[in-house]
Amino acid sequence: MRRHFPTLVLGLCLSTFAVAAATAPPPAPPPVDPGGGAIPIPPANADNPTADVTSWAEPSQAEPANAADRLSADPVLRGRYLAVAGDCKACHTDVGGAPFAGARPIRTPFGIVYSANITPDARTGIGGWTADEFYRAMHKGVGHGGKRLYSVFPYPYFTHMPRADIDALRAYLGTVPAVSQVKPANRLPFPLNIRFLLRIWNALFFHPGELRPDPAKSEAWNRGAYLVWGPAHCGGCHTPKNFLGADRNKHALQGGRLDNWVAVNLTGDPRQGLAGWDKADIAEYLRSGRNSYAAASGSMQEVIYESTSRMSDADLMAIATYLKDLPPGAPKPGGWAPTEAAMRGGAAIFADACAACHVADGSGVPRFFPPLRGDASLQSKDPTTIVRIILEGSRSLPTPARPTPLAMPAFAWKLDDNEIASVATFVRNAWGNSAPAVPASKVAKLRRRYGGRTGG
Amino acid sequence: MARDGMSRRVALRLGAVLSAAALALPRSAFADTIRRRLPWGPAAADRPERIDARPGYLFFTDAEAAFVEAAVARLIPKDELGPGALETGVPRFIDRQLAGPYGQGDHFYLQAPMPKGVATQGWQMGSPSEVYRLLIPQVNRWAADAYGQAFAALGPDKQDEALKVLEKGDASLKGGVDGKAFFELLLQNTIEGFFADPIYGGNRDMAGWRLIGFPGARYDYRDFVGRHGEAYPLPPVSLSGRREWTGKQS
Repeated sequence: MRRHFPTLVLGLCLSTFAVAAATAPPPAPPPVDPGGGAIPIPPANADNPTADVTSWAEPSQAEPANAADRLSADPVLRGRYLAVAGDCKACHTDVGGAPFAGARPIRTPFGIVYSANITPDARTGIGGWTADEFYRAMHKGVGHGGKRLYSVFPYPYFTHMPRADIDALRAYLGTVPAVSQVKPANRLPFPLNIRFLLRIWNALFFHPGELRPDPAKSEAWNRGAYLVWGPAHCGGCHTPKNFLGADRNKHALQGGRLDNWVAVNLTGDPRQGLAGWDKADIAEYLRSGRNSYAAASGSMQEVIYESTSRMSDADLMAIATYLKDLPPGAPKPGGWAPTEAAMRGGAAIFADACAACHVADGSGVPRFFPPLRGDASLQSKDPTTIVRIILEGSRSLPTPARPTPLAMPAFAWKLDDNEIASVATFVRNAWGNSAPAVPASKVAKLRRRYGGRTGG
Repeated sequence: MARDGMSRRVALRLGAVLSAAALALPRSAFADTIRRRLPWGPAAADRPERIDARPGYLFFTDAEAAFVEAAVARLIPKDELGPGALETGVPRFIDRQLAGPYGQGDHFYLQAPMPKGVATQGWQMGSPSEVYRLLIPQVNRWAADAYGQAFAALGPDKQDEALKVLEKGDASLKGGVDGKAFFELLLQNTIEGFFADPIYGGNRDMAGWRLIGFPGARYDYRDFVGRHGEAYPLPPVSLSGRREWTGKQS
């Protein structure tokens, strides 16, 4: 489906063009952003899936948490806390590049967008922007000189932030070292590279305005809602996208996909969501990268490392309070019935290759080897994450709270496509789990990109 | 002054010698130091080298193959307990080993000079591939003299007898070669082939492992460590899996 996006989008743009041509020059919904699967947060290894680019995840590099900044009288410190909560650094720092100097390639289903330099450099950064201009970018997605910004920059979330917070963020960004670095030109096909079209996208999907607290809810709930829908922009990954890359808010936070990682359902869905986690479990996961049910993998590791592990306990509990109050959405069909052959083969492979760590009954070793029984990511309808982890292995995130990174080895060299499909199908349907079977073709597709030199 | 010049020259020479020595050190002499991180990369793996999967032999000539097939079939014969070395592919295992680094003696120091050693000095012959190539015709020649036919053509009883003579070092081989050492090498390689992982060509269907109840290439037994007095329930598994995995032959 993914490869058809550009054609589809092009077709739609052109047909809209025909309708709108009477009034304005080039029109059409310019869908350029996270779309169908991509998101604002780049994978740690966007450009070189086989390289060990997880060097950011070294405990020695961890800066002291700055949880206390949140309530500081100094706007710079408050802004620093917001920059952490928003994980600005993730997108606005290239791998190995200067912090906030941008130029990181962000893969979207529509093409590559490079992040902006948000250091105070006057020429290539945002040093020349006024406070009003900065607010307009955050609040309306309109940059310097009236240039429309692609929503890969999550202004549909930042619009919920009050002016005071945005000013504080600007105050902090004014203090980071200025770096002169020009952003490379985005690699988007025509007509997606016509920024004017973003006006139409905004008209369709963008609802500017600060988030208003709900007086019927607790302070913690409201703080959590603000973080989730504002700076932390959780839905950027965890909300599914429509074909133009906009959030499908009817399914808000019910799980999305980004560059071949599944962002799990954050609602109380009993299989794919967080029904089994209590508030403390959510906070522990965001703080340490692990809890007794799961260990973070994929892009979430970067979010935890750069952002949530440095937030205050109160804020993590606030996020948990809000998430635990989310309705689970329509019940998902269950009772998947994978073939007996896949389950039998998968059970044999699991016993021989997986059970040593994950234990025969899938209970794992909590906080060391993730339990597979009841896991949300594992039972997500989209099996991308589980297949990818079997192919290339995974390393758990070292955080100050959990400094020892445990690693799962790659199995791409050892298991063929059918075997990976079988064992993935098995773990998705054993011990009370239930999820659709994984076809070998799905494994073959992911192997081409993530199988490494050892595949085959 | 002259003394100063001399010492400078000595220093320069010493420097040259030391840097040459440093260059000559194998890379492995500089070990990686790992601190504060677990080395890991996505999809990284030190996969075991697979043998050349083409049918037939790569190293053995027909005559050599006939000898090795006959000999291993007597060293670990097929019996009521299961298949023997021949049936489990041991000749192929030995062939692939002799065709590879092992056969070239990559584990031996093989530079001249080579004075005659004594028994306590261990292996005193050339590389394993040289030994097989040199010794098989000698053994066949001796068998023809002693029993009237090349080794492979003898009946099982005569083959057993010939192997016993060889093992004792009593076979009169020409050219000063060591029949006893060859027997030991052949026996060792046969056992290796019978019990090595099937990905290396022998131990077909993990028959060697089944014979002795070895569960194969498993990571650990945490699920079973507390279960005393019970037989381990899982069958052996190769590095490449087992039949019960999806449609794969081990």
